[in-house]
This record gives sequence, structure tokens and C-alpha cells, in this order.
Amino acid sequence: MLQYVIRRLLLMIPTLFVISLLVYIIIDMPPGDCVTSQIDELVARGDPDALKRADELRHLYGLDQSLMHRYFDWVGGVFRWDFGLSCQDTVPVKDLIGERIVLTLIMEASTIAFIWIVSFVIGVYAATHQYRVGDYVASFFGFIGLAVPNFLLALVLLYVGKVYFGLSIGGLMDAQYIEKPSSWGKTLSIMQHLIIPVIVIGTSGTAGMIRRLRANLLDELQKQYVVTGRAKGLSELRLLVKYPLRHAINPFVADIGHLLPEVISGSVIVSVVLSLPTTGPMLLGALRTQDVNLAATFLLLVAVLTVIGMLVSDLLLAALDPRIRFGSAEK
Amino acid sequence: MSSAELRYPRPTLWADYVRAGAGVVLCGGPLVALNVNRWMALVLGAGLVLFILFLARTALRQRTRYVLAEDTLCADGPAGTLVEWRQLDRLKLSYFSTKRDRTGGWMQLAVGSAGSRTIKIDSALEGFYDIVERAARAAEVNGVALSAATRANLRSMGISVAGQEETV
Repeated sequence: MLQYVIRRLLLMIPTLFVISLLVYIIIDMPPGDCVTSQIDELVARGDPDALKRADELRHLYGLDQSLMHRYFDWVGGVFRWDFGLSCQDTVPVKDLIGERIVLTLIMEASTIAFIWIVSFVIGVYAATHQYRVGDYVASFFGFIGLAVPNFLLALVLLYVGKVYFGLSIGGLMDAQYIEKPSSWGKTLSIMQHLIIPVIVIGTSGTAGMIRRLRANLLDELQKQYVVTGRAKGLSELRLLVKYPLRHAINPFVADIGHLLPEVISGSVIVSVVLSLPTTGPMLLGALRTQDVNLAATFLLLVAVLTVIGMLVSDLLLAALDPRIRFGSAEK
Repeated sequence: MSSAELRYPRPTLWADYVRAGAGVVLCGGPLVALNVNRWMALVLGAGLVLFILFLARTALRQRTRYVLAEDTLCADGPAGTLVEWRQLDRLKLSYFSTKRDRTGGWMQLAVGSAGSRTIKIDSALEGFYDIVERAARAAEVNGVALSAATRANLRSMGISVAGQEETV
């Protein structure tokens, strides 16, 4: 196992390096920079010192340096938890992302827990009750979840909440707790506000997982050893848990790595629609204004989470099912 | 059966040394050269410890020779141990691959007998097949319970163990 962990870690490090480099280059690629829009405003207002101010700002943000110089400065800073200056109000990136990262992590973790719990229960039920009403209902909602875009579901829930229940669904906490220190009331408020975003973001992921778990479990349930077990008089629950469920659960574990980037990218638009103070809307703004340090930092953190998710899922799979596939044995 | 002396091939050991060295440099480099944030230092430090452990394990492998005999498997080296086939009570054969399609991987055999430490060897070891075959025979005679993964991996090597058929 040590050999496996070492090899996976050695793959992770260059992967993260390449991702960070590509992200940095791509964000910087379009013409102009984050100062351009600010200067355009000053010029429009007829400020005579606009161009001088532009040079000062470019020097402040390091934009007068070469791209590679800026990249290595930024990467070096990452190790010190210093991601450079953001063009938004010239604030250090780490001060901008602080609470948003925590809230984002709480929301994504809750969403993943929601996806797992709901899809596990419904997936197992749908497979063990194939072609019954429950299976059709689960499949129907599964397809609805796959087909309806998250942001549309968010808009519908916003409307229904406001018009029929008089509830304001947006935000991740009540207004009185914004920018206030942590407290029990704030935690409770966050938990209440999390319900809608978690359902909205989690629905599409849940739908996919239900389909996969149902299909895998159905495959297993039709195998000879299950028939033999049933013939021997094993109870249905024991028959299900002993082998078929264990085998069918592997794709569940394998999905941990894929789920994280899926959930994060799916949450960006939903966060904008629901006015959630997570990293999504800020990332969108940073990409629009070419705030390279801020956008690259967010994307690097997403990449780190994704790579860690992949590592965890691979390690769990290696521990759960260290079997060779006959195709790979031939190769 | 006369005894066979087996070792890890040099290219395999050197590849592991390169991996360990690369890891030590990648994790230790920033720790030494940069003023690293303490949380980052914790992560890099954990990575560094892992790579140093791997380096130590590779050095241990280089200094160890495995002697396969009819009655025993002996790991003769700094952390050596002896497994008696007659008293074999654990056998696990795992397969690992870093690729998505699980190709190009390697096997790991873990065997142990009552009162001895477990010997873990990888498929890179010369004579790995002979050891697995001997261990499987011993498991069959001793009635050692094998996991489904171990049985599948043994089958993929063309080794079958009587009395270990799939039970429900």
C-alpha cells in the first residue's frame, strides 16, 4: 500500500503544478488586464492622471513583470498562504477568500453527504423493487433531476418560497449574522439556509448516482450466486448486504473524486442566483475582470480538492477491492 | 525442492530510489527554501515523512534476500523474519494500479505464520510466482480462509486453491 500511496502522491504533485500553470496562463491570455477596466472608468470621467495611475496600479499588481515571473511569485506565495493582491479594492486575496472558502466547504460537504445518503437509499430501493411503482417514481425523479438545470430549479424554488410561503431563500445566513463572529445562532442560521442550496445543487448529482447504483445492483442481483443463496433460504436482507451491495458500492466510492469538481462547478451559477456568499460568484467576477491572482487561487483550491478527492477514492477502492481485472492481467 | 535465493532486481530498486528522492526534494525543498505557512508545513512535512519511510523501505529491500524453501520462506535482512508453510495462517494477494483502467499494476503478497511477522513482497521480486504458488498450496493444506479479492488474484495467475470456492 505504501508503494501505491507514494506513486499516487508523485502523480499528484506535477498534476497540481501543471494545472496551476495552465490556469494562470489561460486567465491572463485575453487582451488587457484587470487595470484596463478601472482606467477606462477614470478616462471616461476625464481624469488627466488616468494613464499615470494605470502605470502605478500595474506596478502595484506586478503586471509590468513577465507572465512567468508573476506566476512563480504567486506559486512561491502559495506556500506562505499569500496569494498576492486582488485587483478588487487592492486587498490581499487571502483576506477576500477567508470566510467564503469555509462557507463553500460547508456547503459542498453537505451537498455530497446529501447526494450519497439520498442516492444510496433510493438506488437500493429502486433496484430491489424493479418495475414496481417505487422504482418508476424514483426513475421519474431521477430523470427530472438530470434534465432540469440547477439554476432553473433555484429560480423556481426562489419564486415558490417567496410567493407561496413568504420566505426569503437567498443567502447563507440571516442578515444580522453577516460579518459577525461565529455563534450558535449564526451556525443555526447557516444550517437553515443550507437546505435549499444543498437540494438544488445535489439533485442532479443524486439523479446520476441513483441510476448508476440501480444499474450496478441489478447486474449483481441477477448473478448465479444470488440465485443459489436464495435457493438455500438466505433472508433477502442478508442476501443483499453480503455480496451484491458490496460489489455495487464500488462505483459509489470511485465517484468521490468526480463528485467534488462536479458539485463545485455546478454551484457557481446557483450561488449567483441564490446570492450565496460562497466562492462561486467571486470567481465569476474575478474571471470577468481578469483578476488573475484571485481567479487562479480559487481554481487552484478547486484543483487541490479534486486531486485529494481522487486520491481518497483511489485509496478506498484499493483497500476495498484490491482485485485484478482479467483484461489488465492479459495486458 | 532445493531452496531458491530471490532478490528485487536492481532497476526496480533504482526506480523506487528515484521516486523516494523526487518526493523528498518536492516536499522538503519548499520547507527548506521558503518561509512556509505552518499548515502548509504540516502537509509538506507529512509528505516528507512518507517519502522518507519509502526510502527506508527501499533500502531495506535492497539489503534483504528472500530464501524460498519447501518448508519455509525466509526474509534474510535487517528486519528479517521466517514464515513456516506448515503454520501459515494468513495469506493476502492484492493488486494495485495507479491507472484509471487498472492496467499496468503490480501484485502484493502478504504471508505470515503463527508467531512470525508478516512478509510483504511485490510482484517485482524475482520468483514471485513460485512464492505465491507455494503459499497457495500451504493455504490449501492449512485451510486458511482467503478473501474474494485474493481468490480472484490467484485465479488471474492461474493458481487455484481447493476448498476456497465461492460460498454464500
